[in-house]
Amino acid sequence: MAQQESLRPELLCVIVRHGMGGKVLRKGKQLGFKGATIFLGRGSKDYKSRRLHKFDLSESRKEIVLILAERRTVEETIGTLSAHFRFDRPHHGIAFRMPISEIQGSSQFANTTGEKGGKNPMYKAIFVIVDRGRAEDVIDAAYEAGQKGGTIIKARGAGAHETQKLFRMEIAPEKEVVLLLVKVEHCEHVTASIRKRLELDKPGNGLLFTQEVTEAYGLLSEDGTEKE
Amino acid sequence: MTVNRGYGDFRRSALLEKTREVLYSVLPVTLIVVLLHATLTPLETAVLVRFLVGALLVVFGLTFFLLGVDRSIAPLGDLIGERIVRGNRLGPFVIVVFILGFVLTLAEPGLVIFSGQIESSTAGRIDAFALLMVVSIGIGAFLVLALLRIVFKLALYKLLVLLYTLILILGFFAEPEFVVIAFDASGATTGVLAVPFLLAISLGISRLDRSSLSQEQSSFGTIALVSVGAILAVMLYGTFRADTAFIEAPSNHEALNDGVFRVYLHTLSDALFETVLVFFPLFFVFIVVQLFFIEFDPRRFQRFMGGFAYGFSGLFLFLLGVNAGFLEVGSQIGGDLAASGVYVYSIGVAFLLGVVAVIAEPAVYVLTHQVEDVTSGYVSRAAVLVALSIGVGLSVALAALRVFIEPLEVWHYLLPGYALAIGLGYFTPKTFVGLAFDGGGVATGPVIATFVLAFIHGAADQVASADLIRDGFGMIAMVAMMPIVTLQLLGLIFQLKSKKKGV
Repeated sequence: MAQQESLRPELLCVIVRHGMGGKVLRKGKQLGFKGATIFLGRGSKDYKSRRLHKFDLSESRKEIVLILAERRTVEETIGTLSAHFRFDRPHHGIAFRMPISEIQGSSQFANTTGEKGGKNPMYKAIFVIVDRGRAEDVIDAAYEAGQKGGTIIKARGAGAHETQKLFRMEIAPEKEVVLLLVKVEHCEHVTASIRKRLELDKPGNGLLFTQEVTEAYGLLSEDGTEKE
Repeated sequence: MTVNRGYGDFRRSALLEKTREVLYSVLPVTLIVVLLHATLTPLETAVLVRFLVGALLVVFGLTFFLLGVDRSIAPLGDLIGERIVRGNRLGPFVIVVFILGFVLTLAEPGLVIFSGQIESSTAGRIDAFALLMVVSIGIGAFLVLALLRIVFKLALYKLLVLLYTLILILGFFAEPEFVVIAFDASGATTGVLAVPFLLAISLGISRLDRSSLSQEQSSFGTIALVSVGAILAVMLYGTFRADTAFIEAPSNHEALNDGVFRVYLHTLSDALFETVLVFFPLFFVFIVVQLFFIEFDPRRFQRFMGGFAYGFSGLFLFLLGVNAGFLEVGSQIGGDLAASGVYVYSIGVAFLLGVVAVIAEPAVYVLTHQVEDVTSGYVSRAAVLVALSIGVGLSVALAALRVFIEPLEVWHYLLPGYALAIGLGYFTPKTFVGLAFDGGGVATGPVIATFVLAFIHGAADQVASADLIRDGFGMIAMVAMMPIVTLQLLGLIFQLKSKKKGV
């Protein structure tokens, strides 16, 4: 039973400065991952540094690396990866892993199914999908609830509505996805703040979902030390 | 309390990110010059100091300029692109786009200076204002074509083949000098602000597209088509005017040699004027948009204004550094090397200078970043830079070769070059075709047009048989051509490499 547990699929997510994604991928391969998906995002503006905020200089480009693997592999390597890229220091990146329920379409996984949630997770990942331009509001709302920042990813919506046509171009509505990592005990507070600010209860204003994070590296407390 | 990763205090801020990247783009050219000073062409201390101060100004200037572009020009272009398409009506679309292209070109300092030069070098036979109008109308019309291409999903490659064939035919009828002027004018128009603005407009439109594949393909190609517009307009103008006897040009720039920093004082007002000229039309467009079309909320308005302030001061410092620090070094190195008589050195150094100078071009920075964003990092900035650098290096080397070998004409390069460029387009992945032709327009920026051009001029000055104007102007046309070839080759390499090799 224990062995089966260790074969359950997990998602490892690493967020690093732009340009580092390839290095994470290479290191990950050395550590035994079969592959990864990299996409671009940006770090939200930072409220900690007033000076930067005032001069509008606090955003930065990020790369997000997604790796799917068995729990055993992820568990063994997340620490090595974080140590290698010095996630214990500020601004070096973050890594976290979370359980997922199923992987298909990859020959290395024999369609394994996972458990529902992690054991005693300390963090939760909040995903908010909103119309383009509203990610800042999400970050603002999260800030009011005590969060210090997040990652914003550009995306397109493929809603169930009919696609619109402009001239001869079929268009899709543009979206932004905001990823926030919060401590479990703060999660409800943060989501409530976002829900209120963006009026998520009304239709068409966006979606929010959360997922338990089994383990996270690189989340630092205010004095710069790592909190685990 | 746990912090969700303080994204960037100073150490990881946008400012640092930009400064780092800008340093990487300006350091190579600085190092090469210092290296040449230590080996082949020792420079006067004053000249070297001016150059180093210039390099410092360029680093600061470029950093702030690019920060400003991110916050003002790019979002403005993006927004305008989106709005004109969302209108979904052909009439207003055409009118607005034409006016945009026209106004933008009319105030392009590169073009204003270039037409002035042409007027004085032809002793008034070609009117500067007429030339300016012709190019502006050409660009207005072709910007319309370029954006219609995106929304009607026309194949860029076919359009380009058609248009370049037209240029070739016209080339047989127009005066040879007009051919050179035409190619150079197109290089002069795609300037530091026009490029990010045009890229942003096309991105603003293409990003609405449902399919990410056609998003990629339609994000590039606008600059390519606009460049063609300028070439065609000037050529048509040249074909339909009869008398165009050329008179040799006066010397291009007087030597300023009083004091180490006097030069900076002299250049100050020029750089300021040029910066005002370049920013005015876009700022005007912004104000019109704000007043009549979209009322930005105060937060966004402030961000735009801040962006314009960053961009303005950045461009000013950048132009100051380039004009006061780089120009004379380029011309001196070129002259000294040619005077030494070992032409191999000249040609080798020409290659090196081309390679490093293009990396420091602001528009190149913007384009390479856009490539990364549009392809989600699949086509890396570094890869595009390498291809661009090799292309520009080769073209500067070939231009230097032409200084020493008299019978070589510009069209000896351009004809086979463009034939190759068009031919390659048939095999190259379509995203790269657009990118490559854009790259040609983007490579010819202020660094190339001052520093590297001065190098060629300096060399031509030392060689009796060389013609200052023709050799120099031809170089810009070359720099606009070679990257098209090398970037398409890069595309072919990508195509070969990304075929999946089993599992």
